[in-house]
Amino acid sequence: MPHAAEEKHGDRLIADWASGAHLQFANDAARERYQARAQLIVDTIRLQDTGRIPVIPAATQKFALDYGPVTFREAMTEFDKTFAAYVRQYEDTDFDAYAGPEFIFPAGMFEALAWNRVRLPGVHLPDDKSFQFVEAEYMKADEYDEYLDDPSDWVLRKYLPRLSPMLEPLAQLPPLRNTLVFHQGLPDLVLAAAENPGVVEAMTALKASGEAVQEWYEYLGRLDQDLGGRLGLPRLLGAIAAAPFDIISTYYRGWRGAIVDMYTQPEKMKALMERLLPWQLQYGIDGAKALGHPIVTVYLYKGADGLMSDEQYEEFYWPTLKRLLLGLVEEGLLVWVFTQGKYDSRLHHFKEIPPGTCLIHLESGTDAFLAKEVLAGSQCIEGNVSSALLAAASVDEVEAYCLRLAEVCGKGGGFMMDFSAFLDEAKRENVKKMIEVASSPPAGRLMRERPCNGA
Amino acid sequence: MPQELKDAIVGLRMDEALTLAGRMLADGTKPLAIIAESSEAMQAIGRRYADGEAFIPELIMGGEIMRAISEAVLPDGASSGTEGSRGTVVIGTVRGDIHDIGKDIVALLLGIDGYAVHDLGTDVPVEDFVAAVREHDADIVALSGLLTLAFDAMKSTVDGIAAAGLRSTVKIMIGGAPVDENVRAYTGADGWGSDVGHALELAAGWTEGGA
Repeated sequence: MPHAAEEKHGDRLIADWASGAHLQFANDAARERYQARAQLIVDTIRLQDTGRIPVIPAATQKFALDYGPVTFREAMTEFDKTFAAYVRQYEDTDFDAYAGPEFIFPAGMFEALAWNRVRLPGVHLPDDKSFQFVEAEYMKADEYDEYLDDPSDWVLRKYLPRLSPMLEPLAQLPPLRNTLVFHQGLPDLVLAAAENPGVVEAMTALKASGEAVQEWYEYLGRLDQDLGGRLGLPRLLGAIAAAPFDIISTYYRGWRGAIVDMYTQPEKMKALMERLLPWQLQYGIDGAKALGHPIVTVYLYKGADGLMSDEQYEEFYWPTLKRLLLGLVEEGLLVWVFTQGKYDSRLHHFKEIPPGTCLIHLESGTDAFLAKEVLAGSQCIEGNVSSALLAAASVDEVEAYCLRLAEVCGKGGGFMMDFSAFLDEAKRENVKKMIEVASSPPAGRLMRERPCNGA
Repeated sequence: MPQELKDAIVGLRMDEALTLAGRMLADGTKPLAIIAESSEAMQAIGRRYADGEAFIPELIMGGEIMRAISEAVLPDGASSGTEGSRGTVVIGTVRGDIHDIGKDIVALLLGIDGYAVHDLGTDVPVEDFVAAVREHDADIVALSGLLTLAFDAMKSTVDGIAAAGLRSTVKIMIGGAPVDENVRAYTGADGWGSDVGHALELAAGWTEGGA
């Protein structure tokens, strides 16, 4: 078979992304910096000993906003200010990649729909607090069969109406599956819309929400152009896919509901996960293609140590997650597996995925040194510098911990320096020390070229 | 029969536990006696959890079975009558943070461990903590937070309790994934824990003349 036929679509995406094909570079220096950093990130995931440790940011959030200063409320409504704060933060801190305000979201997206699933700064929470998700039972225990029978119908007429009062009228639409021709189904559908002003209002609310997203995406695009094209910083976050168990336990049934289902209707739960798996895989693959970004991020929520037993993890959580990861890797994509909480006992499972394909994020609860031991030669690890350490400890304490991380976990490659979760309250001097330790002797990893930001 | 009920709860068999509880009620066992048997079973699950033999799903499922039994055997609005004898705890997730799973589990286990637990919920303002400490004459305040943004709210809450003149009357613990000794020192709390086991140890130490 000719070589070209063997090239996976992920290989092409990696090459394009690493070359910065999507960016207009301000000058050659910016292009070189971008390409060197992007290639370093790819090579480190590929477990090559590149000679230096990349420093990446999981999500800087309030840490970035304080460069404005901008409150979370302002960040969700005044995008110019958000944009400026993030640019200032990355001009002041010498990361090898950037994570933007992707998880701040425009307030208008939620507010136009009165979205139930979030609590917003300036509405429900103080202006200086991040918006937060509300985990609740959005799918009832007896709705598995209904979902399995017609998922889109359930989403349209059950899920969306529960997430937004503006979308409640959608519950009164007839099932779309009945819509066939002018004399069957279609009249029912259009009549339901004509006779129910709420349906039209729901569409208007969706439009308003969509316009807020449109504006937000334009800002994110401009930010990418500035941070990528001018400062030479690759964007870390691309498409997202979710572990099927997390979809059920975090978005549909809630953690309590999911736990009860594990004991009372395990087979239905597994059937739903089987249904979700190919869709998530396709969502990740299509998203990577649409964004021109080869790294698909999978945030993990409910599989951490203590949240379930090893047996439950192996029965409920890992099988579909494993197949999701394998499917993405089969496409030639890289996967940023974002573990949350303590993950010590689960790490060995990532050895079941082809080596050098995943970037495993570790929060501070996970033992990074154990992770290195378990995953050396198998998957790249990153993270672990505690947000509490960066917020409350001295520069010397930060240096001591990061030095140890660099020396132990950095040995032989396959490690990136990063903090635990949101940087938020971290002291700037501590963050700079973390970056410095990874970048320079005596951690040693050699001769990092120190680019001059904004050049 | 009481032993069968306990076994069914520890074995997390909801339907069987409810059937047995219903049968005991029909046979004349008093509702509060059924609740007491169920509580013993929950304590057994709690001990298994503390020993690392059970996990959060067991605790939550056990709690769900307890709740279902209470609803089935107690008349509407009746109290389960389980008064905390080891001390009084005011617990809540601090202002600006709405995460509740960790807080709920600590509240559940403190309750079955013999404390009177007053759960103020999430996103709790400083003044609500202060009022609850006063109202319930609390021995312990447990502040929960998952976000690093919660550190300042924890500190404000500790400061608020002090400003109200109540600091010397309570021990304060902070808990949540990002919490550590640095955060404890920053907030001025008396102890910290990253999981429910720590919370139970701290509470036991404080109420039994320990640290």
